[in-house]
Amino acid sequence: MTRSVPLARRNLFQDPRRAALAVAGVAVSLVLVLVLDGVFAGAVRQVTAYLRNVPADLIVSQQGVRTMHMSASALPDGSIERVRGISGVAWVEGIRFTTATVRAGAGRQLSYVIGYDTDTGRGGPSSVANGASPGPGQAVIDEVAADELGIGVGDKIRVLGRPFTVSGLSEGGTSITNTTTFIRNADFAEVRGPSLSYLLLGTEPGVKVTGVARRLEREISDVTVQSKEEFVEQEGLIMKDMSADIMQIMSIIAFAIALAVVALTLFTATLSKLREYAVVKALGAPSSRLARTLLVQATWSVMLALILAVALSFAAAALVAAITPNVLLRIETVAIARVAVAALVVGTLGALVPLRRIVRLDPASAFQT
Amino acid sequence: MTPTPPALIARNLTKIYGEGDLLVTAVHDVDLEVARGEVVLIMGPSGSGKTTLLSMLGGMLRPTSGTVVVDDVDLTTTRERDLPRLRVHKLGFVFQDFNLLSALSALENVELALNLANVTGADATRRARDLLERFGLGERLDFVPGNLSGGEKQRVAIARSLANDPAVVLADEPTANLDSKIGHEIAQLLRQLAIEEQRSIVLVSHDPRLKEVADRVLWLEDGTFKDLARMTTDPVCGMAVAQQDGPHFQFDGTTWWFCASSCRDEFADDAQRFAERARATA
Repeated sequence: MTRSVPLARRNLFQDPRRAALAVAGVAVSLVLVLVLDGVFAGAVRQVTAYLRNVPADLIVSQQGVRTMHMSASALPDGSIERVRGISGVAWVEGIRFTTATVRAGAGRQLSYVIGYDTDTGRGGPSSVANGASPGPGQAVIDEVAADELGIGVGDKIRVLGRPFTVSGLSEGGTSITNTTTFIRNADFAEVRGPSLSYLLLGTEPGVKVTGVARRLEREISDVTVQSKEEFVEQEGLIMKDMSADIMQIMSIIAFAIALAVVALTLFTATLSKLREYAVVKALGAPSSRLARTLLVQATWSVMLALILAVALSFAAAALVAAITPNVLLRIETVAIARVAVAALVVGTLGALVPLRRIVRLDPASAFQT
Repeated sequence: MTPTPPALIARNLTKIYGEGDLLVTAVHDVDLEVARGEVVLIMGPSGSGKTTLLSMLGGMLRPTSGTVVVDDVDLTTTRERDLPRLRVHKLGFVFQDFNLLSALSALENVELALNLANVTGADATRRARDLLERFGLGERLDFVPGNLSGGEKQRVAIARSLANDPAVVLADEPTANLDSKIGHEIAQLLRQLAIEEQRSIVLVSHDPRLKEVADRVLWLEDGTFKDLARMTTDPVCGMAVAQQDGPHFQFDGTTWWFCASSCRDEFADDAQRFAERARATA
């Protein structure tokens, strides 16, 4: 395409201060959306960190239970033996799970408490930064929670109503909502009874995971079988269900602010140039061409705002990570793409009001003084 | 040899606004022909219908009745959506107050007019540069209007009006806001365009200085052309005025006509000086 005079760009940047204010105004609104989305994505990432790191191919839970978060699962007695007997299953590990409060002195943290077999280590912390796996009467807590509770290895905590000594500090187990504490399966069973909550299982090499899952479902009717990926997805969905309304409201407010800024900026900019638009019309520009100019102007505004917003959001993510390690602000590409599309829609809507003025503009008004 | 038809023909042109008690006839039964290479100056008091007439001649306003033919195309029967394209190719416009686009450079202002005719890229730049250089603006191509003098702005506006080689140029008060020297230069430039390029130029103005470049002067008042033989110039402000029913003053055996009683009173205070100046100018 051959170059034409970039009227939209020239108009937009003729007054750099006004352009900067408009772009900044829209950018702030988009930052709000991106940060909200980032907090949510970070929280999902953190909440599912344990599941993503367990070595299992399949996870078996009580029938109808598909998540850990906001759920309680108790498997029927003998489940582990029945699962072990299914063809293609290489190993099975039972874990116990509940949500409880970890107390240390006056401090308290809401925590997933996971009982696991410390001999195999399956279902335990993916990495212990300091100290060792828990022995009898011992617990591994996440280093971020330990820091917030002001405790370290060797200190005492209370979990499930009884004291434990911290044997080690794990990594990556604290989220915006809770932390993770690991104890021995036997200690968990002593307090909460013998029922297992979930079974983690690995399949034999070369065996199709989906095939094993189907066999499990066919032969053991009173459990729910999901691949690790499905379980992680379900965990993300329950997080989304819990926060969808507030996220949606906040996003709508942010986009409404962006829309108002774009519309107001374009409207005032158009009003201040009505005479010039009339001249262009008088010279022979059809309304469609002027409409295109306005839309290009709106697109420039929101795209520059988006670039600024993405940069500011990444900066905010880095800042948040430095200040509060238990909050993960995760700016995902899909969120940027979603915001970009929404921003374009906002830009287009923002251009509609001035567009109406331009379409109705009388070219003969170019002759009026 | 077939005579060349006029570039602009207006027949029985009438424009009525409103209806009932609020009915206003802005232009009434106007006939006008402008030959190729001819400069026609239309003068008249404020509210006489000049802008309405210009808008109709420029294809921006539909007449209530009558026809406008520009370069053999009847604007009054042309579909509304085709009028912009006709304005691009058949008409050039010079507006009062220059009306350049403030965010664009001189070059871009002219290029934009070419873009409207689908001339883009290097071709548009070359044509725009040639026009501006021809009008002595070769050193001002990248200047935005805010950094140009009044005369320079008007020359850019004239260059813009010629961008698509129109048959007719309509100029609204082209010398307003210009000092007398620059106004004279612009007037001469328009005359030159008519002679050298055989363009028809319609000037609408209060400025009597433009009479010197016009082949014909028409007086529009109350929406109709009046007998120019009955026109004279207010010796105080220089405006063209009709020799009828207006403020007038007898001095030195002559009846002097004025645009308003304030001019008449000013004349009466120093009649000798104003009369001598008027005779010298004439």
